Amino acid sequence: MQAQSNRWGGELVRFENVGLRYGAAPETLTDISFSIMPQSFQFLTGASGSGKTTILRLILQSLKPTRGMISIFGQDTAQLDKDGLTALRRRMGIVFQDFRLLDHLTIYENVALPFKIRGRMESSYRAEVIELLKWIGLGDLIDAKPPVLSGGEKQRTSIARALVSQPELLLADEPTGNLDPVLAGRLLRLFVELNRSGTAILIATHDIGLMEQIKGARRLVLQNHHLQVEG
Amino acid sequence: MSSTDFHNQRSVWQSFLNRFSTDSLVAPDPLTDRTLVAVIFILTFIAALTAGLVLFGSAATARWQVLLSSEVTVQLRPQPGRAIDADLNRAAEYLKQVQGVTKVRIYSQDETLRMLEPWLGPASSLGGLSIPRMIAVEINPDAPPDIQAVTQQLAKDIPGTVVDDHRSWTKRLTKLGNTLVVASALGLILVLTATALAIVFATRGAMVGNREIVEVFYFMGADDRYIARVFQRHFFSLGLRGGILGACLALIILGALRFMIAGSDGLKDIFGFGAADPLSSVGVAIIIAIVAVALFVSFLASVVSRFTVHSTLSRLV
Ligand SMILES: Nc1ncnc2c1ncn2[C@@H]1O[C@H](COP(=O)(O)OP(=O)(O)OP(=O)(O)O)[C@@H](O)[C@H]1O
Ligand SMILES: [Mg+2]
Repeated sequence: MQAQSNRWGGELVRFENVGLRYGAAPETLTDISFSIMPQSFQFLTGASGSGKTTILRLILQSLKPTRGMISIFGQDTAQLDKDGLTALRRRMGIVFQDFRLLDHLTIYENVALPFKIRGRMESSYRAEVIELLKWIGLGDLIDAKPPVLSGGEKQRTSIARALVSQPELLLADEPTGNLDPVLAGRLLRLFVELNRSGTAILIATHDIGLMEQIKGARRLVLQNHHLQVEG
Repeated sequence: MSSTDFHNQRSVWQSFLNRFSTDSLVAPDPLTDRTLVAVIFILTFIAALTAGLVLFGSAATARWQVLLSSEVTVQLRPQPGRAIDADLNRAAEYLKQVQGVTKVRIYSQDETLRMLEPWLGPASSLGGLSIPRMIAVEINPDAPPDIQAVTQQLAKDIPGTVVDDHRSWTKRLTKLGNTLVVASALGLILVLTATALAIVFATRGAMVGNREIVEVFYFMGADDRYIARVFQRHFFSLGLRGGILGACLALIILGALRFMIAGSDGLKDIFGFGAADPLSSVGVAIIIAIVAVALFVSFLASVVSRFTVHSTLSRLV
């Protein structure tokens, strides 16, 4: 433990020679090494099926690497217990490619879920949640439930849920896939603003137009099971 | 009312509702939920009724015992060469001065014949047949006389006397009562076990059905305890619903029984209540027992679901 924390250079995420295979298939990811620094902004890109979602799941600890080392917030994930895992996840926000909204809860309740799970009183976050929902154009849908929403509305709800607790690290899987360019730009600005207030951001996307809107952002490019860092 | 007032009221109302809509984090599954409520309802009803009947039964048994142990009968068999009426009077005189005896009454020949009518036919047809005669002796059950001494004294003075203190009946009655209580307690345990098993099944089903939700909870930073609590609350509320329904029905049935017994002198006699209101003494205890059963069932539901969640989570995700 001691040696490891000495080596930790403050990265939020560090992959070292990570390999992953699903079952008996050949490795989906081979020798992946990269790190994400606090308050950084980067895109994760690559063709469909190249392994973007897989990398996000590895960061989120919903998958274990077949080999290599992953450390999150300076902690070796191989030595993490359940409580440690819960603590890590509370510092992250995640936008799932398939949204994963809870269909029996209203939009408001879905977005307020991270607060509710942290045991906070509703009066302490209600105004905040409603303001965020209005800002992303869901002010009229506060009491609606996910099944009646359009794809873009679901996507925005899922983004709001990931942002609302102002996590240290935001992972977003194709967050603009269902949005028109104007709305996509608007949400990208939301990500940039969140980034300015201190959140490190990793957006997985194959939308080149989206990536070009943020000139200085790093790009982690997946190709042939390997990862290259550009910029 | 300004719009902010309205907004504030609404949020107060909302948080009030949130505190009580405990199951909002588990996706409601009307069919499964209703089935479980029905199962708990039936099991609670059986358990509550059993508990009620045990209390009622033991109260009646206690009454019988008091009645039986406050009376002793002395029987005189006709002996050749003796005047039975004189013997009866002598025995009664003796009994009256025994410590602990409160009342002595000789059944006359006519009374005895009338009592035997159902078995022997009209008294007139028996003519001069000599039959055994009886003395009813009421005793103080708290300070009873020494029955053995009385028996010996009577046997010495007046041949042909038999003293029956109903001891064999009280013994049998106690045995019957105890057996009934043990059997009912066993039944109660079985019913509660069945309830617990039903909850285990329902919790597992709900967890599999809510697997995606459980996963999202984890990603949002929930721990096992939180997820267990969510399911626990859900099943507590279902258990409470079924429990209240079952308790209500049990109360209605026992209430009807009370009116049936109270309205019929014959039934009152059978249950040994005499003129007393059959449920006035045990009624409160029965109501408390039934409410306790309903509460215990919902408590059981919440605890069992909590343990089931903890033992299932590691396998689920
Ligand atoms: N649970 C799984 N079991 C087996 N194979 C899987 C599993 N999940 C993903 N894969 C495979 O791993 C590869 C990478 O999948 P992944 O979902 O990470 O791709 P992606 O880059 O996110 O694609 P997209 O842009 O279409 O979302 C794919 O070939 C996929 O079929
Ligand atoms: Mg993907």
